[in-house]
Amino acid sequence: MIRTLHVTFRVGTADYALPAAQVLHLESFVTATHVPGAPPYVAGLVQVRGRVVPVVDLRARFGLPPVERTIDHRVVVVQVGTRVAGLLVDSAREVLQLDETSFEKPPEVIERQSAGFVTAVATVAKRLFLLIDVPRIIGEELTHG
Amino acid sequence: MSERVDLQEFIGAFAVEAEEIVAAANTSLLEIDVAIGQGTVRPRAVRDLFRALHTIKGLAGMIGVEPIVEIAHALETLVRAADGAGGVLDRRAVEVALQGIGAIAERVRAVAERETIDEAPEGLLEAIAEAAARGCAPIAMAPIPPEWHARLSPGERQQLALALQTSDPVWTLSFTPSETNASRGITIASVRARLGAVGEIVKVIPRAIAATAGGQTGVAFDLLIISNATQAVIAEIAATELDGVIAVVAPAAAPGRQITEVMDVTGVGAEPPAPIERDDLPAVGRAVVRVELSRLDELQDQLSLLIVSRFRLEREISSLAELGHDVRRIREVAQIQGRQLRDLRRAILRARMVPVSEVLEPLSLLVRSLARSSQRDVRLELDGCDAELDKAVADRLLPALIHLVRNAVDHAIEPPEHRVASGKPRVGTVRVSCLEVAGNFLEVIVTDDGRGIDRAAIALRAKRPIDDEATLLEVLTSPGFSTREVPTTTSGRGLGMDIVRRITVSDLGGKLSVTTHPGEGTAFTLRVPVTIAVMDVFSFQCGPQSFVVPAVVVEEIFEVLPEMLVVPPNAGTSTISPADRQASKWPRAALALIERRGHAIPIVSLGTLLAIDSGERARKALVIQRNGDRIAFTVDRMIGRQEVVVRAIDDPLVNVPGIAGATDLGDGRPTLVLDLNELGTIARQRGVS
Repeated sequence: MIRTLHVTFRVGTADYALPAAQVLHLESFVTATHVPGAPPYVAGLVQVRGRVVPVVDLRARFGLPPVERTIDHRVVVVQVGTRVAGLLVDSAREVLQLDETSFEKPPEVIERQSAGFVTAVATVAKRLFLLIDVPRIIGEELTHG
Repeated sequence: MSERVDLQEFIGAFAVEAEEIVAAANTSLLEIDVAIGQGTVRPRAVRDLFRALHTIKGLAGMIGVEPIVEIAHALETLVRAADGAGGVLDRRAVEVALQGIGAIAERVRAVAERETIDEAPEGLLEAIAEAAARGCAPIAMAPIPPEWHARLSPGERQQLALALQTSDPVWTLSFTPSETNASRGITIASVRARLGAVGEIVKVIPRAIAATAGGQTGVAFDLLIISNATQAVIAEIAATELDGVIAVVAPAAAPGRQITEVMDVTGVGAEPPAPIERDDLPAVGRAVVRVELSRLDELQDQLSLLIVSRFRLEREISSLAELGHDVRRIREVAQIQGRQLRDLRRAILRARMVPVSEVLEPLSLLVRSLARSSQRDVRLELDGCDAELDKAVADRLLPALIHLVRNAVDHAIEPPEHRVASGKPRVGTVRVSCLEVAGNFLEVIVTDDGRGIDRAAIALRAKRPIDDEATLLEVLTSPGFSTREVPTTTSGRGLGMDIVRRITVSDLGGKLSVTTHPGEGTAFTLRVPVTIAVMDVFSFQCGPQSFVVPAVVVEEIFEVLPEMLVVPPNAGTSTISPADRQASKWPRAALALIERRGHAIPIVSLGTLLAIDSGERARKALVIQRNGDRIAFTVDRMIGRQEVVVRAIDDPLVNVPGIAGATDLGDGRPTLVLDLNELGTIARQRGVS
């Protein structure tokens, strides 16, 4: 059994998990600077500890309708390679030890429906956590395009 | 999913990683070659090279590409021999290694493109093995006194060994500071500086002596130097007796490449210190400290925070003043503080400057290796490159220069026989020259004496007429544009001319221009700011957002009223449809005309262009000019003019044309820095499309 620390958060009605190793920190979210011409799922730029970071609105990225911003909204700052980006989530949940060997491949229909964003499903005490493909979400393909 | 698909995916990943490692290996080799040229060594580069080769061998082994494994293995053996010798590869070994890495690169590409993979080129493995057997020039050691021997680092021993190879004389001497000497201006600093000017100082060791009534200060310095200066000159510099300067390797008797003692390499454990390079020696009696760029960045980040909090302080003072408080005294202090901040900023910026030539080092090897692979005779000339540039700017600029030089060798310089036939010198010239220009800018000009750019061919390919050089540049730098018919091994992959433009214009806030003459050659001019950290900007409000633009690009700002605009036919609509917002692209922007100083200039609502506002509240217009063409942008209102710290935003998520970076105006939120030149081009394109 390989237990790894994961940061979990909620977007819409689903819980998601990310390996803590990919997460730099969690920030509260007030507002982001809109970047005209950026993809519609880019909420904008925020300044995190002296660094300017683009934020992806996961609701928009997952095709969910926008909601009023609340004090629960959080930016999960992730690092992928040399890139640093924020993921705007509805709320951040707890940090959990997840057993990587128990991860299952998502049902094919879900995989297709989620455009490949969901890479695996973990079950902890009857709760489902979706593991997501961060490089894909922050548009790793943009780097080469 | 079948197994085949998985393997394919893995091959893709292999290709990406392998290409990176090949690039890293090439960089290390370039570094080693430059070091050979300077007569120094770079043990670290040799080790990096070894690591790269080792990794690629492992990767290739995993997917069973035997030819790559073989070549990498042979090169590994060669480099290991060099590493064992403290990091010395000779020119011929570098040459062979370059060929080997080239052969690996070709095979990586074949793997990526699912082509058949050729065996290692004939004779290559043998050539590598032969170079390895030659043993990378066993290192001779100067017969230095044993008390010195023990105190030298591996790098310093290397330095001595190289001096021995080049038959440079080696000396030891002592300098004793005293009041008499000090009164004549002779101190250890001046001795270091003056000896540095006539040779290389290998080591200086202080030693305690008895303080005397004669004014000796209780310390003496033993120096070990390499210098072609005469004994008398050295003695005079150090204010010492002639026989106090001892020739360890005498000028006449320098034993050349003879081996007197094989170098002791057992001490090579920790990272040896970088060898002293001539250029690094202080010019006039100043000590030199090597500092990592990241530390200077840190310093600068702290400074930017200070600048931001100063803005806030001024804001607070203003609001106190509005409430009727007497703020004269505090404002005075704030002004003094502002000046001090500016001085501090200048001091930090100075610390970050490096001579351009230092950054251009890799170019000469690049030209050599390109010339070989494309069978051209080419010479690289560097001119005026002792001008200084912020290290960060220089580092960013290098890829653009590499691309231009690569293009010049690959596409511009004709084959030697063609050159001779058209009455040109057989050897082509690529020149990189630097010119400091007013306003803290530096012009870096890449010139070739090749065939020039064929405008007709480009016009044909771009399907548009090319009347002037500005249009030519626009076409050349549009993403994906290439004139290359046959893919060559060296060009066409990776960077395009659009990247050169992006680096120069968007990343560095500079200008790119080109002049070309058929049959005579082409010159690209990159005008870049000497520093990027702080920029003088105008800030303004446009719709719901505030923005800034570099003050240098703005020609004038004027009041504009809707009735002043002349809307020509088919100018489109100035309202934004929700669909446009969604399309993540700017809508068609309406270009109108306005009369200004007797000229009709196009004017566009910035809010409409950026799809953030209807532009109805716009009351001000900013005019920019590029190559004589003016265009005006309307904005709601001006906020002010200030110096800001600009950060590049290069993440692909927000890599949008027209947006050059972000800054903090003091509210802790990023404010976008716009590239009005680029937006002008976009507006014109939208206007006619």
